Amino acid sequence: MRTPRLTALALFAGLATLTAQNTFSPPRTPDGKPDFSGIYEWPKTNEGEKCRCSATIFNKARFPPLKPGGEPLYEPRTGDPRHDEPRDFCLPAGFPSGMLSANAVRLVQNKNFLVVAHEFQGMTRLIPLDGRPHRKGLEPGFYGDPVGHWEGDTLVVETTGVKRWGLDDYFYTNPNEYRMHSDALVTTEHISWKDAKTLAYRITIDDPKIFTRSWYQDFTMTLHPDWDQMGIFEYVCEENNRCPGGKCAK
Amino acid sequence: MKFRWIAVSVGALFAAALPLAAHHSFAAEYDDTKPIKVTGVVTKVEWQNPHIWFYVDVKDADGKVTNWAFSGGAPGQLMRRGVTRDVIQPGMTVVVQGMLAKDGSHNAFGSSVTFADGHMVFTASSEDKGSGDKK
Repeated sequence: MRTPRLTALALFAGLATLTAQNTFSPPRTPDGKPDFSGIYEWPKTNEGEKCRCSATIFNKARFPPLKPGGEPLYEPRTGDPRHDEPRDFCLPAGFPSGMLSANAVRLVQNKNFLVVAHEFQGMTRLIPLDGRPHRKGLEPGFYGDPVGHWEGDTLVVETTGVKRWGLDDYFYTNPNEYRMHSDALVTTEHISWKDAKTLAYRITIDDPKIFTRSWYQDFTMTLHPDWDQMGIFEYVCEENNRCPGGKCAK
Repeated sequence: MKFRWIAVSVGALFAAALPLAAHHSFAAEYDDTKPIKVTGVVTKVEWQNPHIWFYVDVKDADGKVTNWAFSGGAPGQLMRRGVTRDVIQPGMTVVVQGMLAKDGSHNAFGSSVTFADGHMVFTASSEDKGSGDKK
């Protein structure tokens, strides 16, 4: 009988999967915390519209209603490439946009810090894990001021102090929707092991100047031991940026 | 002359996927409504960030030679896919598919390179995207 055999096979496969999930024990640092050290693909998701670009973008369906006055999320393009395409001049992608760029990410962790070394633009985030508060009096920057703490086996990273800048790369898909976050942005990342090869990575966006409430999206980051020896590569944008503002020079 | 044969066709035969550049605006620099396919001889390769550039001497039907400049992905993105700086070398005859620059110059985006033995590599930032991808 074909059907019972298939059913048995499906049950076996399901049990095997459950067993693998149940037996997975995340690597840990000497102080007993989950150890995320390794090299990964950039955060990816299967939900929402795909970007006409290589980066991952946020799913618009998750956006809550905008606050009155929140329309600057969709800042119109002005035709000035320094405004419309700041990366064309090697300006930073910033956070969270840069985190979603299509490059490898190296995580290095010890008791006191998680280092996020992203290949794109050489973005480096030093995330304290020692319980310190946010620094005070900082001028808002492209990557903000992250601090992390543990909630069980999940690392929670809150980032404040981010200057108004691009939220993601959606403008490659629709140039009329140039998504910008405000300088009131607070992001919260939740990082945990999903299985032996995958990190669960959630970004929560709280931008009270733009959205009526906070919202989040879940991503995954796939571990790539095969990239470990290769590592991440240098990315010095100024080295040979031949076409700033669309004006190429030989 | 090193050229064996040269062909330039604009607006036709653009079948390769078009996953595009990494750091900057494809839209600012290139026109995705103007695909290009050229055959010529590589004269120089700049294996540098933020994008590789390679230069190809292309001869038109009248015998006039033009040096085209093609931009690709970041070196790191290409190397991670096994496309190393040795893959494209001066003197090679190649077919390049891509998109023309908006400024009407002989700059273009090079999304793929096909070699004399028929094998092809994607030279854009990612090879898992469909036609029209811009970054």
